[in-house]
Amino acid sequence: MLLAVLFSHTEGNILVERFHGVPTEERLHWRSFLVKLGADNLKGAKNEELFVASHKSVYIVYTVLGDACIYVVGKDEYDELALAEVLLVIISSMKDVCVKPPTEHRFLNKYGRICLCLDDCLEGVTGELRER
Amino acid sequence: MAQPLAKKDDDRDDEAEYSPFIGIEKGSVLQEARVFNDPQLDPRRCSQVITKLLYLLNQGESFTKVEATEVFFSVTKLFQSKDLGLRRMVYLIIKELSPSADEVIIVTSSLMKDMNSKTDMYRANAIRVLCRITDGTLLTQIERYLKQAIVDKNHVVASAALVSGVHLLQTNPEIVKRWSNEVQESVQSRAGLVQFHALALLHQIRQNDRLAVSKLVTSLTRGTVRSPLAQCLLIRYTSQVIRESGQNTQTGERPFYNYLDSCLRHKAEMVIFEAARAITELSGVTNQELTPAITVLQLFLNSSKPVLRFAAVRTLNKVAMTHPMAVTNCNIDMESLISDQNRSIATLAITTLLKTGNESSVDRLMKQITNFMSDIADEFKIVVVEAIRSLCLKFPLKYRALMNFLSSILREEGGFEYKKAIVDSIVILIRDIPEAKESGLFHLCEFIEDCEFTYLSTQILHFLGNEGPKTSDPSKYIRYIYNRVILENATVRASAVSTLAKFGALVDSLKPRIFVLLRRCLFDSDDEVRDRATLYLNTIGGDGSVGETDKDVKDFLFGSLDVPLANLETCLKNYEPSEESFDIDSVPKEVKSQPLAEKKAPGKKPAALGALPTGPTSTIDAYEKLLSSIPEFSGFGQLFKSSVPMELTEAETEYSVNVVKHIYDGHVVFQFNCTNTIPEQLLENVCVIMDATEAEEFSEVASKPLRSLPYDSPGQTFVAFEKPVGVPAVGKFSNMLKFIVKEVDPATGETDEDGVEDEYQLEDLEVLPADYILKVGVSNFRNAWESMGPDNERVDEYGLGARESLTEAVNAVINILGMQPCEGTEVVPNNSRSHTCLLAGVFIGNAKVLVRLSFGIDGPKQVAMKLAVRSEDETVSDAIHEIIASG
Repeated sequence: MLLAVLFSHTEGNILVERFHGVPTEERLHWRSFLVKLGADNLKGAKNEELFVASHKSVYIVYTVLGDACIYVVGKDEYDELALAEVLLVIISSMKDVCVKPPTEHRFLNKYGRICLCLDDCLEGVTGELRER
Repeated sequence: MAQPLAKKDDDRDDEAEYSPFIGIEKGSVLQEARVFNDPQLDPRRCSQVITKLLYLLNQGESFTKVEATEVFFSVTKLFQSKDLGLRRMVYLIIKELSPSADEVIIVTSSLMKDMNSKTDMYRANAIRVLCRITDGTLLTQIERYLKQAIVDKNHVVASAALVSGVHLLQTNPEIVKRWSNEVQESVQSRAGLVQFHALALLHQIRQNDRLAVSKLVTSLTRGTVRSPLAQCLLIRYTSQVIRESGQNTQTGERPFYNYLDSCLRHKAEMVIFEAARAITELSGVTNQELTPAITVLQLFLNSSKPVLRFAAVRTLNKVAMTHPMAVTNCNIDMESLISDQNRSIATLAITTLLKTGNESSVDRLMKQITNFMSDIADEFKIVVVEAIRSLCLKFPLKYRALMNFLSSILREEGGFEYKKAIVDSIVILIRDIPEAKESGLFHLCEFIEDCEFTYLSTQILHFLGNEGPKTSDPSKYIRYIYNRVILENATVRASAVSTLAKFGALVDSLKPRIFVLLRRCLFDSDDEVRDRATLYLNTIGGDGSVGETDKDVKDFLFGSLDVPLANLETCLKNYEPSEESFDIDSVPKEVKSQPLAEKKAPGKKPAALGALPTGPTSTIDAYEKLLSSIPEFSGFGQLFKSSVPMELTEAETEYSVNVVKHIYDGHVVFQFNCTNTIPEQLLENVCVIMDATEAEEFSEVASKPLRSLPYDSPGQTFVAFEKPVGVPAVGKFSNMLKFIVKEVDPATGETDEDGVEDEYQLEDLEVLPADYILKVGVSNFRNAWESMGPDNERVDEYGLGARESLTEAVNAVINILGMQPCEGTEVVPNNSRSHTCLLAGVFIGNAKVLVRLSFGIDGPKQVAMKLAVRSEDETVSDAIHEIIASG
């Protein structure tokens, strides 16, 4: 099950989040955990370099793209390799929308398009029919 | 939010450094949303407002019901616009707002129109939105459109319909199941993602039909599956089929193994890994089957992608639990992962090496781990500590190096759980490796000199008190213990006083000096400390307040409580202060088993135990009173044990019956608790006819039928059997409920005069060896074992055959014996290949019995067990062995 997709700024502010099947009271914990994970490991990381972690039998694959840190969290059938595939699709969509690795300004300017693309990715749509 | 950034960017010089959402506020955005009502819609402006709404929602802002309804109704007006971008935003915001059932109807027709639109993007998204917000009624209306969409030539539309089907299967399964044919057709789609989604949905539709799943897997493994994602799913379904079939083909091979093996050569890494993992998780997998899978995993260990390295090392870690020798070829590759940047990978590599390493590599491994430990978090450190403990038990001769390592990390920084894991490991090593005792105790003493955790200090002091006096030079521990009395908080001081007393009781040479120290404790500021010091001074000083002899004193200090704490607590709560002091002998010793689970049909009342007398504090007392009030059974003597009620009928039956077995020395009484669940019937002369053909040692001596059993008013009937006195006779009984049934008019309550004889088959019941043993635990097993002495000890070894796991074998033996596990030894740690379980009980005839079970499991999951029994009566020890031998 794909539990969460979260975009945050490298400084730690949440930009976009999607949770599936995670109770509200747990989301706060996940937000702070993921942001801390990124703060500890993504400093100096290259764009699109994948990182993997596990926490309480749940897998997390994450990366940095420009000013945005992207985290995907899953369990059961969404193990680390499946999550890596999901993350690659999200990265590809982001690059389609923003052309380059996005700065914070560019990310916020394209916020609506990014939300649409994320929705497409999570609903399993391929890249061909998404508009630029 | 908008912080100046250090990175250079070509756009940066041109852009003003501001956020489009700076100062955004819900109230003003909701005001802005009024543009949705304009007759001349500005698509760009409307998209911006929707973006702001989405941003607010993503920042955790919530809309009240009224606000959400207003926004939703405004958004629906945007369907008038033909702008593609705006339409997509509309779909998104509708999903985010999650309208209620009565609001959905407003937008249904627009969405249904879009479902039939020529624009593929409209069709796909409209399907997704509709399926998200719809209910069953609307779903039946749009079902034909969805079925068409599943086989649409546009794969975006097809995927949308299939994924929606996956979601809808949770709420409207009967509707989605009607789409099987269309979904089956989509499985053959040339589009990879459609194939993937179709396969997932088809499997979910058929998952309760094992044969259908097996056919699906058979046909697809022979055909071509293009999508790597679909291949991964197929591998998982294949594993499921293999697991459920459990039989090999005529050639002796595992079914579908060739398919899994072929997937190891797929071009997609994901498929290769999935196949490798599936092979490693096969039940009873042989080394020959494992080899190709481990070979590819070994290649992944050297991948440049951390995800692949992580996946490979995680899988090898699991394999190492059951087939350590199969993984040894990967040791060199894993050693290089110890320095991996990703700490999860490094930890997994180390714990795998600890499982697969041999005795000669232990020292080298310890050197590598020492540097690594400071880099990882506590939760990883605990995993490593547990792995080191297992390694030390596997290679006991290496205890010195491993104990030194544990003691060095104990001195470093760390949280409570981490330190506890290390202390527990040292205690286990001391317990299981006699040569490690002195050094282990010394390390623990050094630790408590500077321990911030009261729980750990008291745990160690208690352990010191039990083990320290038995060492070659007990006096060297006194300094550490007395320092706790001077320096620590009250809880630790009290614990230290008890420990000093134990030393004084067991080591005569130290007694005078212990007295001196204990007298100083009489001036402590804490009541508990002073009370304990007073008690122990009097006890060891021999004033007769606690027994007359040394043995009495030692029993008091080291002996077990002899009653379960829960029972003691209940009795103390029920005790009312009076002239008669509380008598600990009145506390029942039997540990209550879990109550019978509720019947499966929640609407039905469970069969009650009938009118039990009130007052007694335990169920066994109630049974005893009930049975002694029945003249036929009053001469049977003292009731030894009553079992928990056992159901003899299925749920939802007309007559519900459960049975309680009451065990006496020379008799067994079966109490059948019956309930009539048919309002139109009255049962009379209810009795149970028991066939004892398969219970030769039993002969029926008495029965007590139930005169009348009206609707919903439980009653009991009894049957008593005689058996050889003191012998734990076993047997199987088949049972038939016989009665006279009379019709009852539910309206008037009148019963017919005449009745009809009828009978009702019940399930068989067995009298087992476990029925003759009371679950009575001991708090200190070692002391109880040693005090029982080896005179009546019997030891033997048994092969238990192949088992699923060590846990399953341990549980099976515990259930056969029916004794009480002690000191938490019924729990088998994960990944253990050996385990010791301690059981205690009282055998019929009131003979205490203690059992030590040592289990070991090897690669092919063959389990061997060593059974050591000590009892007050040698025939009881023999009887326990007899139970295992015939069980």
